[in-house]
Amino acid sequence: MRHLLKHAVLAIICAALPTLLLAQVSVTGTVTDAANNPLAGISVKVKNSNLGTSTDASGKFVLTIPSKGATLEFTSVGYKTQSVQVSENNAIVSIKMLEDIGRLDEVVVTGLATSVKRKNLANAVVTVSSKDLTGTAPAQTFDAALNGKVPGALINANSGAPGGGISVKLRGVTSVFGNTQPLFVVDGVFIDNRSTPAGLNTVTGAARGGNASNQDNPSSRVADIKAEDIENVEILKGASAAAIYGSKAAAGVVLITTKRGKTGKTKLTVSQDLGIMKASKLLGQREWTEERALDFGKAAAKAEYIAAKNAGKIYDYEKELYGETGFTRNTNISLVGGNEKTSFFLSGGVKEEDGIIKRTGYGSKSLRVNVDHRITDNIKVGVSTSYLNSTADRGLTNNDNNSVTFGVALSSTPGFTELHATEAGYPDNNYSASNPLQTRDLMTNRESVNRFMSGITLEAILQKSAASTTRFIARGGFDYYTLKTNVHFPNELQFQKTVEGTSVQGFAKNLNYNYILSLVNNYTPSDKFNLTSSLGLTQENGDFDNLLNVANKLVAGQSNIDQSSALSATQLRNKFQDNGFYIQEEATLIDAITLTAGVRFDRSSNNGDYKKLYGYPKAGVSWNLTNMGFWHSSLFDNLKVRAAYGQAGNFPTFGSKYNLISNFNIGGNTGLLLSTIRGNKDIAPERTSELEAGFDLSMFNGRIGLEFSVYEKRITDFLLQRPVAGSSGWSTQFSNAGDLRNRGIEISLNTVPVNNKNLRWTSTVNFWQNRSKVTRMEVDPVELGVFGPTLGTFKIETGKSATQIVGLAGSDISVPLGDAEPKFQMNFLNEVTFLKNFSFRFLLHWKNGGQNINLSQLLTDLGKTSPDYDEPTKEGSIKGKARVARFGAKYADVWVQDAGYLRLREVGLYYRFTKLPTSAIKGLRVGVSANNLFTITNYAGYDPEVSNFGTGFSTNVDVMPYPMSKRLGFHLSVEF
Amino acid sequence: MKKSFIIYLSSGLLAAAALPSCSKEFGSLNGAVIEDLTTNPTEFQMINTMVGTESGIRNNLDFYFDATGVIGREIYRFAGSEPRYTTELLGKDAATLNNNTFYLTNSWNSRYRGVKNCNTIIQGCTNSKQITAPKKKGFLAVAKFFKAYQLLLNLNLTYTNGIRVDVNDPDKPGPFLSYDESLKAISDLLDESKADVAGAEFAFPLSAGFDIVKTDGAIDGAKFIKLNRALAARVAAYRKDWPGVLSRLNESFFDLNGSLTMGAYHVFSTGANDQTNITFFRKNSNGEIRLAHPNFHAEAVAQLGPNDDRIGKATLRDKVASSDDLSSQWDVWVYTSNVAPITIVRNEELILLYAEAKIRLTQYPDAIVALNRIRTSHNSSVYGGLVTDDELTTDLLRQRRFSFYFEGHRWIDMRRYNKLGDLPKDRPNDDVFDKFPRPLTEGQ
Repeated sequence: MRHLLKHAVLAIICAALPTLLLAQVSVTGTVTDAANNPLAGISVKVKNSNLGTSTDASGKFVLTIPSKGATLEFTSVGYKTQSVQVSENNAIVSIKMLEDIGRLDEVVVTGLATSVKRKNLANAVVTVSSKDLTGTAPAQTFDAALNGKVPGALINANSGAPGGGISVKLRGVTSVFGNTQPLFVVDGVFIDNRSTPAGLNTVTGAARGGNASNQDNPSSRVADIKAEDIENVEILKGASAAAIYGSKAAAGVVLITTKRGKTGKTKLTVSQDLGIMKASKLLGQREWTEERALDFGKAAAKAEYIAAKNAGKIYDYEKELYGETGFTRNTNISLVGGNEKTSFFLSGGVKEEDGIIKRTGYGSKSLRVNVDHRITDNIKVGVSTSYLNSTADRGLTNNDNNSVTFGVALSSTPGFTELHATEAGYPDNNYSASNPLQTRDLMTNRESVNRFMSGITLEAILQKSAASTTRFIARGGFDYYTLKTNVHFPNELQFQKTVEGTSVQGFAKNLNYNYILSLVNNYTPSDKFNLTSSLGLTQENGDFDNLLNVANKLVAGQSNIDQSSALSATQLRNKFQDNGFYIQEEATLIDAITLTAGVRFDRSSNNGDYKKLYGYPKAGVSWNLTNMGFWHSSLFDNLKVRAAYGQAGNFPTFGSKYNLISNFNIGGNTGLLLSTIRGNKDIAPERTSELEAGFDLSMFNGRIGLEFSVYEKRITDFLLQRPVAGSSGWSTQFSNAGDLRNRGIEISLNTVPVNNKNLRWTSTVNFWQNRSKVTRMEVDPVELGVFGPTLGTFKIETGKSATQIVGLAGSDISVPLGDAEPKFQMNFLNEVTFLKNFSFRFLLHWKNGGQNINLSQLLTDLGKTSPDYDEPTKEGSIKGKARVARFGAKYADVWVQDAGYLRLREVGLYYRFTKLPTSAIKGLRVGVSANNLFTITNYAGYDPEVSNFGTGFSTNVDVMPYPMSKRLGFHLSVEF
Repeated sequence: MKKSFIIYLSSGLLAAAALPSCSKEFGSLNGAVIEDLTTNPTEFQMINTMVGTESGIRNNLDFYFDATGVIGREIYRFAGSEPRYTTELLGKDAATLNNNTFYLTNSWNSRYRGVKNCNTIIQGCTNSKQITAPKKKGFLAVAKFFKAYQLLLNLNLTYTNGIRVDVNDPDKPGPFLSYDESLKAISDLLDESKADVAGAEFAFPLSAGFDIVKTDGAIDGAKFIKLNRALAARVAAYRKDWPGVLSRLNESFFDLNGSLTMGAYHVFSTGANDQTNITFFRKNSNGEIRLAHPNFHAEAVAQLGPNDDRIGKATLRDKVASSDDLSSQWDVWVYTSNVAPITIVRNEELILLYAEAKIRLTQYPDAIVALNRIRTSHNSSVYGGLVTDDELTTDLLRQRRFSFYFEGHRWIDMRRYNKLGDLPKDRPNDDVFDKFPRPLTEGQ
């Protein structure tokens, strides 16, 4: 009993001890910018501790600190870090944040466990903040939100289909048949960004004709990251910055950091968006006359036209299909808070968006919990978990060989034929294999995703002395999703009468998990010298399993695969394990010269030789002239020159080393037939070596910032699925086929043209340009990616651009016709804050040049339905006939068209209330925004951004896509 | 104490991580690999490979029939999203046949894929220690038959541009042989297949399409030889070896008075991982259609008389279909469902091969008996023309045209008799091509 009492007293004393020992002081303050406008969201932290908070909408903060006083640090992206001493006697402070237009104080991740301030960085690393990502005009999915914001990137939406689908190429094409997309890492977890086809090919036969690639138009799984949860995105554009990610980083790395908790009063934010969506452009329909109808379809069509005209029944089917106005709504709730030990970020959201085609749309529900906890002074742990459920109804668009997708059916259907349903059902389309209205109303093509992503970070200080700190950092996590694809074409559809209905039910599951274990030592013997040494181990695993069940001969109205009498199934699995270790050394001298060197070694089960280690070195140097003692300039605040070199790899596709045998049955017997792809047991990763150099400067007290970079990126042994002689029995083989190179320039200019009390205008202009060239080929030139030279095709050929488009020109069988690579791209991001509380932002994106292969127009020309078919040409013919005639004379240039554009990607106007109705509300903001409000282009298709073949090498091919949409939104955000 | 604990913990973690990071090999997760079938295969693996061969040789046959049917002016193929059926295949304006386009490569590659599967069986049987010698011979006999058949179909496309026959080593393929050498190689392969039957046991099943070679459901060597010789007779005819045609017919299932449909077929079903006959399109389809050439019906009625049942191979559509200045109101109606079989070789062809050989050997009365057998079987009148080489040849080609309509013979027959110029050109600047180029991927 006495014992117990003693323990109880001890326990009470222990619990009270911190408060007894540490008497506390409350510090308050206001943070403003140079023009005295209050700044919200500025992070306030007690130096060398984890105490901190952030400012509210009126720039105010309250923070409790130990009574002995402390140094407060104020940080925010776009402002220079400020520090101030506070104590009992100096408990009310007012801070003026200075512009950091070059973002010199921003911390950039440079290793797997280390980071440096941008002013010491040897690479040009792009950071997209939360505000840049979603602050102007929120996009439907994360991938779309990145578009136009990354200098050095060619980002291209595959179509306007709900649920996204986007291709990201950083600094040119880095692979032809390997992975061309960057590695996405969310809070240390390497996530899967696969596109899983839903099996539409069974119905469309798209891959049966001129190109065996999948044309199902699936979405990209990176769309599953909720943009609203992202704090910032860092983009390592090439091997020189990304080498430490080794053999997955050849195409660059996109590091996504989600929002974390903050100590201080718990803050609840509710935001609601409402909006509409419409097709950004409709092409129109051909105007019909008796003569044209006769030419179109002989006497029968003429008679049908006359009857339709007399009955007033000439329709605009394009408008009926693509002319819907979609309603969009998006609700987000987030809760941020914490104390000195534990902080949390909690968010939930519901999004529902209708498409511009009836019965299509996108919806998602998500939940995120991020928790950080300090176990002891030396050990902290952070957990990020998220769950997302999304559904996308994507309609039936893109290429097909059975005339069943909306666009292909429409391309040969005149407005004078009747497609509308009567009581007797839908009439058969006289001019195509399908009635697109019937298809739209009866079919289903739905992707449903359930995805968990969960990461954990453990950081422990193992040793600490005046000059040296050693930390152990473990990061890792898993990314697991299941994807259900539901494709259903009931048997009453015009084109389903032979097979009596099709149901394709696909189930994909993917598990990725990885860890990075690092030891980092920070050695600072003096102010003039700092050494960061790190070494670590990494492992990444992936396991993908896709079942696709195809049922025909369905019971009417049923889609379950057992409701059928013909059922086939396919299963596709792949699995990899990559192991690596790395070592990296970073030295900073007099806070002006930074030297970095490191190397990573990797091996992978995907390589021909799975035991072989491949090494990827890197090195970098940056020299900040303004931090040198001798530099005294009133003009430059900061001037840095830098250079970096690095290598990274790209694994061969799973299974490319095997000569696989496929299952082909007949008469109830089980059979084996060799696959069309020949294995290559020697297949090796492709390797990218990148050298980049540049300078960063900042002038006039940070009012002007300029970043200039040039790079050369060499890809050696690039992976190519090259066609092989058909007589071998195979059609293609993976090989390490040659070398190619990209060279480019990136210029970024940040300015604050106006900054006074009533008006503040910040502007960012980026310019970037890339040129590629194939420098070596071990095999003959390869035509690939499209439908052969008659229609224009890509061709990998020594001495030529990797993305050149060639085709027939009369008797010449391979003449250069264009290049998918733009001449250059620019973007203009402007923010004007005026009358204190208004903020106006817009993003203009200019892509100059770059050609598309517009086979949509080919189809409408051949179908004689192009809207401009009858417009006269200078030569006295009409456009439609002239184009077809030129095609007939064996010229493929007709449909290779310039796809440059100037697009107002995002524009938004927001108003922040300063006088709030009740003290319960801490902040209130309303706004309106628009995406893709206008696009100026000479391109004849729906949109210059298009890719029939989805994400990968051969983007820019236009075959009846889901039209792009523009969005208009109203936003309300309340902070409690 | 605490610090050292953390150090131990972290070094322990690093060590633990190092252990599983030993290298891994997951193998091919999506099926067997070819080495499983060629090093020392089991009988069961060879059976699977044989079944897979029979299944796989149906792949992309529709492209073969479309290409030969369009160039041979038997059909029009309209496709909403594929213009080249009406441009390049018909030689519209300046268009020529391309060496890297689907109408050639899909079919070409699929036939050689069949050849490779046959070579896999041949290699597997040579290396297997698990299969008895008689059973090996059974595998070899049928594999060589399929291989010869696949090579013949490709040779039909490239004609004097030839084919590769020796394709065992994908890295060192044999040369392209001339047309005559290629035919001889195919003929020799069929002879080898026949020779292998002596003492062979057949351990594997073939589908119902090959019931003609079975006795009580099992493959019968003697009957297999009859099928082998039927195909050999066609090859002999292509080689203009007329006595050879007759001698091979004698060893085949040729029966002047037997059923015309007796023969070997590709069969189709909706079973799991089986295939349907996608050469079938419903009547009155739109967008994706195969139309009979507009002259088919009129000429069939005029040349065969109104009662001939072969007239029904083109049926009248509700509406005219037109595309690219071509139109027709007749649907192709040869394959009447998506499980309708496709002929490999049938007695009707053997009877006409007999007639052809007899004409060439000027044994006209025998030829007329055979022609009349075909004519009367189809409710046509007996031959009433002059008994001259020319007129009999004309009737032979006519009977072959209508009997084998849209079965890939017309273009080749007209080519054999140098009559491609007689095929109709529907647009003033169209061309009739005599052969496909060698595919681009074969090197030139």
